[in-house]
Amino acid sequence: MKDILKVKNLSKNFGGIVAVRDLSFEIKEGETLGFIGPNGAGKSTVVNILSGLIPADKGEVELDGVNITHMKPYQRARLGLARTYQIPRPFPELTALASVTVSALCGKKRKNQSFEDAAVEATHYLEFVGLFSKRNILARDLTFYELRMLELARALATTPKILFIDEVMAGLNPGEANRAVKMIAKAKEQFGLTIFWIEHVMAVLVEAADRIVAIHYGSKLAEGTPDEVVNNDAVIEAYLGRGWKEYA
Amino acid sequence: MVDIELKRERIVIRYKDKKWDWILEPRYWRNAILWTIVLLIFPAVCYFVSPGLINTMINANVYAAIAIPLGLMTIGTGRMNFGPNFFIGVGGYTAALLSIAYGWGPITTLPFAIFTSVVSALVFSPLVIIARGLYYVLLTLLLPLVFLEVTFIYSDTFKGDTGLFGIVPLVDTGNAKINFLIVAYLSLAIMIVYLLAINKVFKSRYGLIMATINDDEDVAHGIGVNINKVKIISFVVAAGMIGIMGWFYAHYFSSFAGITYLPLTFMLKILLVMMIGGRAQIFGCAVGGYFVAFLETFLIRYLGPTQPIIFPVILMILLFTLPEGLFGIWRKRRYREYLPTLHVRR
Repeated sequence: MKDILKVKNLSKNFGGIVAVRDLSFEIKEGETLGFIGPNGAGKSTVVNILSGLIPADKGEVELDGVNITHMKPYQRARLGLARTYQIPRPFPELTALASVTVSALCGKKRKNQSFEDAAVEATHYLEFVGLFSKRNILARDLTFYELRMLELARALATTPKILFIDEVMAGLNPGEANRAVKMIAKAKEQFGLTIFWIEHVMAVLVEAADRIVAIHYGSKLAEGTPDEVVNNDAVIEAYLGRGWKEYA
Repeated sequence: MVDIELKRERIVIRYKDKKWDWILEPRYWRNAILWTIVLLIFPAVCYFVSPGLINTMINANVYAAIAIPLGLMTIGTGRMNFGPNFFIGVGGYTAALLSIAYGWGPITTLPFAIFTSVVSALVFSPLVIIARGLYYVLLTLLLPLVFLEVTFIYSDTFKGDTGLFGIVPLVDTGNAKINFLIVAYLSLAIMIVYLLAINKVFKSRYGLIMATINDDEDVAHGIGVNINKVKIISFVVAAGMIGIMGWFYAHYFSSFAGITYLPLTFMLKILLVMMIGGRAQIFGCAVGGYFVAFLETFLIRYLGPTQPIIFPVILMILLFTLPEGLFGIWRKRRYREYLPTLHVRR
């Protein structure tokens, strides 16, 4: 399988603080790569750099063979990169249908697609995530779980090659979290996606990810299958502290 | 080539690999047709009953025709422009200076007025990318005030204190009442064209894209919206439309003084038209334009010297008691579909 996303020597400083330090990894087509790290490890900074929201100080990013390091977010989206946010960021004054319609219009270019065609396509994605009945409700009136699903539908409607999922479990109860994980797996299967999944909850990634990359203080700590990473001493130490073995 | 196909309830337009659907909904045309007829009859009735009201109607149309593109600018850029009168100044002075220097009529000066407004908007368009919130408000607020100072400093050219006189009039039939009537219909035509054109834009894919920029431009950028392009186009097109109203003022009064249009008082009136009408809803701008112009005339006629105090007090009370504006009262009851509205940022 070819690499769909290549990250080479990525670095980012905020003033004197090193957020990301010389980070390199690859994501293969069709796989689910988990991305873990304790609080403040730099996970969200990496996602923001990869999606183009903040520029990298050093390093290169390639999406499906195209160097996207200096591309703007909308250009990356049109090339097939979509993301969801840790705290949902809906368009509060738009209905669920309108929110997804914009993605269908502005994501990957479709030929002979009118505004109305895009709205019809958007209903398909809303139905997929289970929000069809709420299509005419303003996004600000949706529940937290529905907002997560709306973000997923909005991302899917851009017809991405790779989907960045930023801490989807945050704020969901166990039942909703379970449904969300199943929905992501279903989306991956139906739309042939590659998934880059940033998560704090290790147990979720152990189930869902094919490989996991762990970072700490912006540097790569470990990389491998979920079992390898979970049993890695350095990873456990990063999560639990240096003296964890004394209490184990 | 452009391929146009008429289907049962829509016109389908195809060009290369692009497609547009123009849905025809005659059942929703009734109110628009009724109001257009009322507005068309009004000046003719005033001509016989009270010719003074024709002037008020022209004012109302011009206020609305400035506020409507300002609504487009506000929603398209996701920012509140506090200096739309800068473009009135640019358009007006261009028309006035050319008309006085070369004796050109309104039709000849119009393209130049549009051109200078558009070019000045392009020059200042980086503001919509680099400045947000309060900084954008302050920068746009300064533009007309700086321009006003320029008209005083270069008084030989702009006649900043007295204004420019001797501009070729908009219409000259030899009969003042008929001139007024024709100008009233012209102002009404401009206002209705602006209203319909911008309404069409707001209801199209571009309106929806503008709405996303208005809601959260970072997220819009992330789903493939070229936000800088949309913001600059909305800013420049709206500026050109506002510049046309400067041209209109210059030829309508045959004089143009920056001191009338560039200070804060005129700008506040336009912003109040927009806010009282209905928070950047373009139909609200038309309602607000008529409300403010007729209220002003009524108060001048019946309150005399106290009008400058009572007028802003009434407007302020309305601003607080009608957060959705006058049009919002109707829209709340007859909510049909999404229309982009101003999202006030903190």
